[in-house]
Amino acid sequence: MDLRSKLADCSSTYWHIAYIYGCNKFLYDFGGVYKQVVDASARALRMIYQSKLAPKFDVNNDENMKFLLTLLNRENENVTELAANIISHSCDSNTEQLALCAAGVPQRLINLFGGSMNLRDACLDSMTAIIRNNWEVASRFALMDHGKALRSIVALIHDRSPRTRLLACLCLISLSHASPCHFQDRQIKTKLILVLLELVEEPGHVGDDAPLALTTLIKDSVELQKQALSTNAVQKLSNHLLANSLESRRAVTILLALAELCSKLEESRSQLMSVQASTLILEALKHTCADIRVAACSCLKNISRSSKVLSAGKLSCDTFIAPLVQLLYDSSTSVQVAALGAICNIAVNLTPRKSILLHSGAVTQLVHLSKSMDPTLRLKAVWALRNIMFLLNPKDKDFILKELTLSTLSSLICDSEQFVQEQTLALVHNLVDGYVDAVNYVIGDDGMILNAISRQLNNAPAPGVCTHGMFVLTNVAAGGELNKEAVMNILVPCRADRVKQSFVVNFLQSKDKQLRVATLWCILNLIYPKCEASSVRVVRLQNAGLISQVKGMINDPCLDCKLRVRMVLEHCLDNADDGFICMLKQYHVSVTSTSQVNNRRPVDVDYPGAELSLSSFVGEEARRRPEASSEKGKKGGGVDPMRRPAAGDSPFLAARLVDESMCQKNFDWRVRNMVEASLSSE
Amino acid sequence: MAMMFMFLERKYPVISYYISEFLVSGKNHRASLLAAAEDAGEGGRHRNPFLPDLPPQPSSGQDANAGHPSPPSCSLLSAGRCFAGTQNVSNIQKDEAWKVNVRIHGCDLEQGYLCGTMEALNVPLADTPVVTFWEGEIVDAKNYTFFTGKWEASPEDDIRHWSKFPSFTPLLSQIETDGGKSLDLSNYAYIFMRWKEQYFVNVGVDCGLTIAGFYYVCFSCSDGSISGFYYDPNSSPFQKLELKCTNEKDSGFTFSSYELQ
Repeated sequence: MDLRSKLADCSSTYWHIAYIYGCNKFLYDFGGVYKQVVDASARALRMIYQSKLAPKFDVNNDENMKFLLTLLNRENENVTELAANIISHSCDSNTEQLALCAAGVPQRLINLFGGSMNLRDACLDSMTAIIRNNWEVASRFALMDHGKALRSIVALIHDRSPRTRLLACLCLISLSHASPCHFQDRQIKTKLILVLLELVEEPGHVGDDAPLALTTLIKDSVELQKQALSTNAVQKLSNHLLANSLESRRAVTILLALAELCSKLEESRSQLMSVQASTLILEALKHTCADIRVAACSCLKNISRSSKVLSAGKLSCDTFIAPLVQLLYDSSTSVQVAALGAICNIAVNLTPRKSILLHSGAVTQLVHLSKSMDPTLRLKAVWALRNIMFLLNPKDKDFILKELTLSTLSSLICDSEQFVQEQTLALVHNLVDGYVDAVNYVIGDDGMILNAISRQLNNAPAPGVCTHGMFVLTNVAAGGELNKEAVMNILVPCRADRVKQSFVVNFLQSKDKQLRVATLWCILNLIYPKCEASSVRVVRLQNAGLISQVKGMINDPCLDCKLRVRMVLEHCLDNADDGFICMLKQYHVSVTSTSQVNNRRPVDVDYPGAELSLSSFVGEEARRRPEASSEKGKKGGGVDPMRRPAAGDSPFLAARLVDESMCQKNFDWRVRNMVEASLSSE
Repeated sequence: MAMMFMFLERKYPVISYYISEFLVSGKNHRASLLAAAEDAGEGGRHRNPFLPDLPPQPSSGQDANAGHPSPPSCSLLSAGRCFAGTQNVSNIQKDEAWKVNVRIHGCDLEQGYLCGTMEALNVPLADTPVVTFWEGEIVDAKNYTFFTGKWEASPEDDIRHWSKFPSFTPLLSQIETDGGKSLDLSNYAYIFMRWKEQYFVNVGVDCGLTIAGFYYVCFSCSDGSISGFYYDPNSSPFQKLELKCTNEKDSGFTFSSYELQ
């Protein structure tokens, strides 16, 4: 036994020597009569292969494969078990799995099931290794001997030995994941769940590993989670947890299984919250073992995916919040990440209890973690802040913004990680929703935030980043004229580089429907009918080719897009009806104002009281484009179709330019009629 | 939610009101509705109608084994959206309407699930606004059909209430034929739902209100308006809920969003 344990624990140098010596000796004696030597060598090598440090046995090498097959074909169970152990240890790549399959290893392993318990277990383990994540091998195996091989493994889930039952379950789980189409029998899956739940009660490794196997089985499958729930899995696992101490490894695996059971099903979450297990989860959060703390956080994260639980405020009490916030300061990064996951979901809480989280010191640490060098920590911290910001009252938004600062926000918008950019933009989008001061911050301070957003949108990164960027602009554009102008200047910059197509056109053509919807909402807010200068913005958007782009989306495959397109076009018409004449008047007034500044008499018809409707935008345009006044008075003849109306143009010319532009772009006959009607009435 | 059962309602049974409102009657019709309701239990898939405003068309039947498409995702029906309006709780005794605010907390179109809170503001005998948490079933012919099959609602009750929505009318004949299982609602500009209040958030169960019933709800994807009818055999019939999206500010719409891990 001394030699065995030494071999099992030996350093890599030791086992290398032992391996070479053992193998040689073993091979030497292979054909000989010294059975005891063979047994001893096989046992020694098995011990070696139980160590994770043992080197891989390269089955792609022909000689090695021959050697392995020779071992598998021996009558000596010690030797065949060794072969199975070598396979379990060494087979993890696709090519190795296929090579072993082509050599007929699965068939041989099935034939060995009739041997001793240890041999059977070793064979099951190596079968799992050969099948794992390999569709081709798994499907070949499932069809082997008309399903007889598969049935022989199914039979083993009822074996007397708990270890065999567990290994058979693991083998079938591997098979069901690698080739779901060959493993659709619902009854067998239910049996697997029942067997694994029974195995949780077994002592030792079997009981510790059974919840992990259950977690693997039900992962991402609502159907299997429902089946597990119908077999009282939540109740059984919780009872086991309550009946035993949190000290064992089993507590970790059970908590992880419970977390998986609560990942999708509302019923599991409410069951877990209704039993005393929630008190135990609370204890686990404060446990000295990091793995238990992580598992407890995973449970809370998945329970808090439930709007029902969140709305009832069950998790947003100080009892849960305080230890979770404490874990944000944990020395282990994995604990911090797990705690961030739970806080992120709990932060969505829509009840007034959100203030408990805000005043728990969480925000300061979240802001600190958002500057971490670790991208995962950074992402999850920003994500949590985004969810806290969701529908928060302005006072609390202000509190977070002061902790976070605009400069941190703008650097996070341009973070090296795309997902951090996305979550930061979503945070800003929540920040500016209905909070005028925040919008002022975003627009103000030299436009630091808006500039960062503009840069990102112009660089056209991932659709998620663009979507949240557009929603920031949508929310800003839902404000007053200044806000709308700020957004207009991003969408249709008044710069010399007009030749460059606006990124908005690309967004409207995007395959991502969320991005198209976000962009359409932004345009809708810019041309919102009740607003002063919306009609002017319609013209600007039209000149930039955006309205015609929207018109082209009238049959968008996404219903939401299609409905927003209709709204945009209706708003265009509304603006034309209500505001077009007003716009003409505004142009005239700006002409008047400019002329007066230049000590010249206005040359065109004056409108009584028109000064009152002077648009700040038109005034701004007049200041921006003084050169346009040189075109004043070009009434007859052709006009440059690309030229936009400008301050200094006569109302006639302004109307004509708009008219020409709209006709050329096939805008709408109604708008054209409006222009004509307004001119003829004068 | 509604006021608890009242004496007058007991005296003038709601059924008399129902009879006058009853759109469909007769034994044969009841039998066909029951058959349609049973039929609706089975899934099926259908062709997309081309235009959103056209009523959904029945399927060709060729792809009957494929899964149902989800109802349309609508940016106005997502978590965080708020709605405000009234619930008409008038009865024979008096005319009365409560101011109601609704907020969507979660939406999972794939599962046909929606949830949120409903706040009733000027409820008599209540010191504070009464907030309830509700869960919704989205009618998608995959997870849920037009037939409730629970909460004391018979197929006749269902049809009677759904028929109150003008946007339901184009669907009625198909529902009577096969329970609506061959309707494709994935491109229809209206989303039909049932909202069932689950618990009182800020008051006890002894607050004098009942949440025993549920709402038949129709949401318009175009403008985000909601209309609904409260159904509880023990409360005044056809209490009308009318809500408008409040995320529309003076000069545009605003949005917030969260994402769970």
